[in-house]
Amino acid sequence: MNTVLVFAIVGIVLIGVLGFLGRRKPVRDLSEWTVGGRRYGAYTMWFLQAGEIFTTFTFLGLAGLAFSNGAAVFYSLPYLPVAYCVVFFVARRVWTLGKTRGYLTQGDFLTDRFDSKLLGTLSAIIGVVFVLPYLQLQITGLGLIVKLLTGNAASATLSMVIGCVFLIAFVLWTGLRGVAVTSYFKDAIMLIVLVVLVIAIPLHFAGGISGIFHRVQQLHPAMLTVHAGSHDTTWFITNMFVSALGVGFICLPHNWPSIFAARSPKALRRNYIFLPLYELTILIPMVIGFAAILVLLPKTNPNGILLSLSQNTLPTWVTGLVVVAGTATAMVPAAGIIIAISSLVARNIARVRNERGQFWINHGTVVAAVGLSLLLGIFLPNALANLLLLTYTGLVQLAPANILGMLNRKLVGKWPVIAGMVLGLAVVIVFTFPFPTAFGTFDVGIIGLGVNIVAVALGALIERLLGAAPAQRTEDAVTA
Amino acid sequence: MRPYHLIPVLPALALIIMPFLPFVNTSELWFGLPRMLVWGGISCALLTPALYLTERAMTRSRGGEDAS
Repeated sequence: MNTVLVFAIVGIVLIGVLGFLGRRKPVRDLSEWTVGGRRYGAYTMWFLQAGEIFTTFTFLGLAGLAFSNGAAVFYSLPYLPVAYCVVFFVARRVWTLGKTRGYLTQGDFLTDRFDSKLLGTLSAIIGVVFVLPYLQLQITGLGLIVKLLTGNAASATLSMVIGCVFLIAFVLWTGLRGVAVTSYFKDAIMLIVLVVLVIAIPLHFAGGISGIFHRVQQLHPAMLTVHAGSHDTTWFITNMFVSALGVGFICLPHNWPSIFAARSPKALRRNYIFLPLYELTILIPMVIGFAAILVLLPKTNPNGILLSLSQNTLPTWVTGLVVVAGTATAMVPAAGIIIAISSLVARNIARVRNERGQFWINHGTVVAAVGLSLLLGIFLPNALANLLLLTYTGLVQLAPANILGMLNRKLVGKWPVIAGMVLGLAVVIVFTFPFPTAFGTFDVGIIGLGVNIVAVALGALIERLLGAAPAQRTEDAVTA
Repeated sequence: MRPYHLIPVLPALALIIMPFLPFVNTSELWFGLPRMLVWGGISCALLTPALYLTERAMTRSRGGEDAS
């Protein structure tokens, strides 16, 4: 058996076993399973939320983006820190509401804040549909790592199947606790591997990091600037804004359980203070991407450049560690996404009243979502690629609803919010698929958000004109 | 809105506007690194002390009501 495949399987099994160590007995309560009983302190919260930074996209995709588009890759540096600034201020409100009202999901929050099951269900469907491709991306990323290093599609399929089996098993057993425990391992091995890569690769190819950039400056100076083309300053700023708004106003469904899991809002805020420093680690795959500009042919598959360079530079066993780290960046975020998908289905889409039924629908959804992602990853790897374009631009359409839901006063009823969400989404879909070039490099998520906000404002105005102002929230005296 | 809410705005703005600053979005280097990397990295790192100061001011104004 190929050494790389052995390392991949060892990594998968190790993550699975660590996930199981999160609990001695399987969880029987959905609240405990989804938000860990709302008792995680600053230390656990750190690994849970920092773990969300490094996905397969961060590990492989950012190096690839730097390789193919140069300085445009730096768009991914500001968006999370800017988002942390926003969520730093809103997390206390969301956490308090979650604790006092018993929310587990974004759908619970919107259902309750607007007194509308329809809005909660609609937001949950949007959340599931647009985050499912992100789950598949992690699973195909796992296979891609093995395929790129072994050149063998069968090994990639085998690693994806084993990865999914362990993923389902430990997520069902431990829930969010398992994600936290595996995040400790993931972040530790990621940091070790990144430090090794950022020292070894630049040293091998250009005598050091500054050597790389001096040679890029001589040979490809345009790669050091955000310049005209498909990834120009408009693309940079609008993509950055959409991503920052999406994370800052908690539009991604898998960001909700980690907020509700905190013991206190202070534990959350401490995290958001230090996460911008941790974000600096994403510069390492970018540096490796710049090194690849000097070494690899321009038509090389961008997603594979980090692995290619490490294979060319490092001993096989160190490349094996890179594979284990890559495996972790796929499996751990995938576990967090699965928890968000299954709890949305159980709580806000299926809407089974009894807790036992809800629990089993949740667990059935875990198996179904991972199984579907695996089948698509093996047989139709590009089937959800188009939907992936909508992950951020689509999910950011939930921002107005979330913001209005966080307010003490109910400024607007459910219908304007639903109308805004649907119209915003329609705009995004129309200008992503039938007319993708209508706005050039301007991110259509912003256009959709503009339409969304105008629709909500007009709806609120019509409500006032008709004398149908929304009834105020009765619990705000308690939760404000 | 209190004054301490504005402390992180400066480093956040520095991050957001970096592609529009001609002395940052250039092929020249600082310390052997792309200027966008250096500017973005420093602005990003400055957010931590900025948010820390805001947190301290918020805790003082709330009388330390959030348990850790």
